[in-house]
Amino acid sequence: MQRESIRKQTLSKKWEDVRRGWYKFSRNPLSIIGLVVVCIILFVALFSPYVSPYPESAGKFINFYEASQPPSLTHLCGTDVFGRDILTRVFFGCRFSLMMGATVLALIVPAGVIMGLIAGYYRGRWLDTVIMRITDVFIALPPLILALAVCSVLTPGIFHAMLAISIAWWPWYTRMVYGIASSLKSEFFVQAAEVTGASRTHILFREILPNCIAPILTKMSLDMAWIILIGSSLSFVGLGAQPPTPDLGSMVADGSKYLPEQWWISIFPAFAIVLIVLGFNLLGDGIRDTLGAEGG
Amino acid sequence: MRGIKFLAKRLVYSVFVLVGLSILIFTIARVMPGHPARMALGARAPEWAVERLREEMHLNEPLYVQYYYWVNDALHGDLGMSLVTRRSVANDIKEFFPASLELALYAGIFMGIIGIILGTISGWYSNTWVDNLVRMISYIGIITPSFVWAIFFVLIFGYLLALFPTMGRLTPGVGPPPSITGMVTLDALITGHFAAFFDALKHLLLPAISLALGPLSQEARITRSSLVDNAKKDYVASERSCGIPERTIMFKYLLKPSFIPTISIYGLDFAAILGNAFLIELIFNWPGLSRYGMNAMLQKDLNAMIAVILVFGLIFIIVNIIVDLIVGYLDPRIRLGVERAQ
Amino acid sequence: MSKIMKILLISLCIGGILSLGVAGAAERPFRTNWSWPTYIDPAVGSDFSSSVAFVNLYDTLLYPDVKGNPQPHVAKSWKASADGLTWTFHLRPGIKFHDGTELTAEDVKFSMDRLTTIGEGYAYLFGKVANTEAPDKYTVAFHLKESFGPFLATLFRLYIVNKDLVMANIKRPGPYGDMGDYGKQYLLTHDAGSGPYVVKEFPLEEYLLMVQNPNYWQPINLNAPDEYKMIGTCEPVTVRTMMSRRELEIADQWQPVESLKALEKIEGVEIGGFFSGSEHYYMMHTKKPPTDDIHFRKAMAWAMDYKTVVDKIYVGSVQARGPVNQTIPGADPTVFQYHRNLDKAMAELKQSKYYGQLDKYPVVVDWVSIPADNEKVALLFMSTMADIGIEVEIVKTPWGSIIEEMATEETSPNIAGVFVAPHYPEAGSLLASRYGSKSVATWEQNEWLLDPKFDAMIEDALKTVDREERFAKYGKIQRYIIDLCPSLFLFDQLEKHAYQAAYTDWPAARGEAIPIMGYNFAGRFIKVYSDKRTELLK
Repeated sequence: MQRESIRKQTLSKKWEDVRRGWYKFSRNPLSIIGLVVVCIILFVALFSPYVSPYPESAGKFINFYEASQPPSLTHLCGTDVFGRDILTRVFFGCRFSLMMGATVLALIVPAGVIMGLIAGYYRGRWLDTVIMRITDVFIALPPLILALAVCSVLTPGIFHAMLAISIAWWPWYTRMVYGIASSLKSEFFVQAAEVTGASRTHILFREILPNCIAPILTKMSLDMAWIILIGSSLSFVGLGAQPPTPDLGSMVADGSKYLPEQWWISIFPAFAIVLIVLGFNLLGDGIRDTLGAEGG
Repeated sequence: MRGIKFLAKRLVYSVFVLVGLSILIFTIARVMPGHPARMALGARAPEWAVERLREEMHLNEPLYVQYYYWVNDALHGDLGMSLVTRRSVANDIKEFFPASLELALYAGIFMGIIGIILGTISGWYSNTWVDNLVRMISYIGIITPSFVWAIFFVLIFGYLLALFPTMGRLTPGVGPPPSITGMVTLDALITGHFAAFFDALKHLLLPAISLALGPLSQEARITRSSLVDNAKKDYVASERSCGIPERTIMFKYLLKPSFIPTISIYGLDFAAILGNAFLIELIFNWPGLSRYGMNAMLQKDLNAMIAVILVFGLIFIIVNIIVDLIVGYLDPRIRLGVERAQ
Repeated sequence: MSKIMKILLISLCIGGILSLGVAGAAERPFRTNWSWPTYIDPAVGSDFSSSVAFVNLYDTLLYPDVKGNPQPHVAKSWKASADGLTWTFHLRPGIKFHDGTELTAEDVKFSMDRLTTIGEGYAYLFGKVANTEAPDKYTVAFHLKESFGPFLATLFRLYIVNKDLVMANIKRPGPYGDMGDYGKQYLLTHDAGSGPYVVKEFPLEEYLLMVQNPNYWQPINLNAPDEYKMIGTCEPVTVRTMMSRRELEIADQWQPVESLKALEKIEGVEIGGFFSGSEHYYMMHTKKPPTDDIHFRKAMAWAMDYKTVVDKIYVGSVQARGPVNQTIPGADPTVFQYHRNLDKAMAELKQSKYYGQLDKYPVVVDWVSIPADNEKVALLFMSTMADIGIEVEIVKTPWGSIIEEMATEETSPNIAGVFVAPHYPEAGSLLASRYGSKSVATWEQNEWLLDPKFDAMIEDALKTVDREERFAKYGKIQRYIIDLCPSLFLFDQLEKHAYQAAYTDWPAARGEAIPIMGYNFAGRFIKVYSDKRTELLK
């Protein structure tokens, strides 16, 4: 009975937090724009087979009789040199980009966070030294260069591109979480947990981790943009997704051969990249302001 | 004194990072599938010639033995032979590095100066239309990939308006100045070849700006927000109440502390310039180390790739040390030697 | 003080702007563009741009005419021994290298020895050479391990280097024992030739600048370029900008169709094309299911849409007729040719053992991304095969990986899309390198034919010294191959270049193309009219 009411109370308190957060978030029009842009992109990406005018253009399709058409009512963004509808490919390209960003984040966030937690908690011991020195080595290179290097030695493809970006990006999470964890280590509540004999997993994941959630979330939404950007840079030099996969970066690269006459082939995908990056950036800033975290 | 101690500590630490980096890159480069020797000699070269090259490069040995050979040679200044240019990699780096350095320096200078100026203007006129305009511009700058800028500039300024050259460092026919530093603009100024100087400057402009736009906007944003934050602080209010003119407050008391975050992030922004140079030099056919490195990666030129990446690692480390020193100088509160929060 | 500074600065600026225009330029500059790398060492390079450089910097014993037949050049006469094992050449006296020393038989011997010892570049052509001797100053003799009919045609690739100059610049120690590095470091950026052009500047990965050799021993036309520059970029937008500013005379051959269209719109620019001897094949693996079934292969040959390839993608190229490009001496113009016919394709497919379980046997096609239009061919193949129910997977593969995959029977793909040109201009070269058992595991054969009957036929043909007789034997072999249907013969490539027709006279574009890589870019036959160029620039 009592328990039930406490549960209800905490629930309503959480609900209250969310509502407050939303209020704070919605006060900034830029954050709202970001949210709307991200939602549109998400919608387009999720339902690209249904909202695209010519879904077959995303796959093994070719029609030289309709190649290189400028934007018109039948093809809103024109067609490329293979006769494929560009709008469709941009939609599917968003899908691939988001998938790529999400996969990379799914790979690196748990790995980076766990390493950071462990290193931070064992600060000053050999485990800390090993993890953080490895991190230092990975951080010693601009991420794009490291990703390019890894990608170039593997056979080109979307999976390897994601792997390369992950290798270049995980240390940043380790670093960030390490900073927080090592400062929380001496906090009262952690020491209390230690004294009561809580297990290490409990301390790491139930006591320390929740305090890192806000900055991690902020960083994730900002990083989504950067990961997509790096991914498109990789495919720009031909090291990313392979044809006929609709990938925004390689669409820009391929289309740039036909500038300026056939500007529509590269301009629309370039615009899509900019839009995605913009959306996630604005959203990330909004989340940061709302949660008051210093991420990114 | 503390500065020197800090510097020494950072240097020792950098050597350690470089060694780690060399192991990392070496492993990445050497475990790659592929036949670099076959690729180097061409598809029709007989097997015995390929095998000989493989022996020469120790490609048949286990990885740690290869690494031993490589380190041993590298310590004697021999970074191996490039499979593409067929010269010693050390030689190639010496030749291509100045062009990249020149480009990166110009981009870095643009980024620092314009970024700070824009940020200051924006902070000075905060919440007016000037501020909004600058903020909007810097947002666009941040979110647009530099290769998109490059293509855009080539199209507009190189092709449609035909104002700027889009390829190389000098117009053919313009005699290059005698090479002293290898950086054309600097050499031209030193030796008084002004025609070459202006020509080189014209060539530099588009690639340098494509590289600088993103990080520049980042700098402007950071400068602005830290100016605005600092302006709310108590000491500014008390200065204002003492009747010190706004201008003096701004330039004497506000700017210096406000630049600290700007400069702290400079290292990261410079990393963006170095990384993006790999694409930009390719687009503008800039005969620099990044293009050389990019080609080495695409053509599996092992030795060149390892060496170029290490060079970039080294530059990045040096830039970070310099940034730390400046920040330490500007902000006495930062205890030198304590790691900067990322 | 500041006023003086100002005046100084202003005058500096004006001086700078003024001196921009006066920079010393060549009178008749000629510029082309290629992709890197370019090697100017004849024992190292063998790709397109290197071949162009060789033709301009070096001389050969024989020079090809428009049909690719050997004509006297440095050698004024020659003869083969009755058994076809010894070939003796008599050199023209008085030919001078760029440094003034005379070209003698010793230099020819040295060049051959150097090439075959290093083993790179065009060395693969001379595997049959046992040794070379120079009995006197103007006589050189090559001894072959076995009789080899087309030997003369291979000599277009023996570029004669200056022995004394190379020996003086050898670096020791090197991988070649006594010979140190055999002058490889030196020849990387210097030439040691006697050709019509001399290397002036060679900043690696940027451009190669050559100037006319004023003492060349053969006549050079008066309008021939005095400066010849090969620029290392193929970026379409850059190429177009340079073309429109008249800073480029002939553009590279890899520009995609759309780019060529745009280039053609520039005033005075035309597209020149010629058949270079290169053919595009879809090489089918005859030992791997499902392409091991001859009916399956024939079904694909009937289903392919050759017409769209030459009408829409490689515009101007013609559908290939069998395994040998029609421009190559020894090609048989009467052999059978497939066309798209879905009924016949279905009929063949039904006879194949894979009919009814096609979905279990997808066909993997590896294609290379340069030139860019290959992607269109691959996508077209995929969609035409879908018409008869064959499932196709296309894989964009870097050139290096294709070579690697084709090195073993297991890793070779079902189909590899590759351009092949003959090593020397004769049908026998292609037939041997495409289908002979010796060439399996190289990038020139994905078929894994390993057919002893074919090997015997081609060996016999190549040993035949009489030309007529040899060519008749080639014809028989071509029919034999077409019967086996081991490859899709897609098209004979029309090599297309945008060029400044208004002020450049280029023999290759006039129909006088030589079917050997590089020879169409010999500067001494090209004419540049600088007055017309100036007019266009106004």
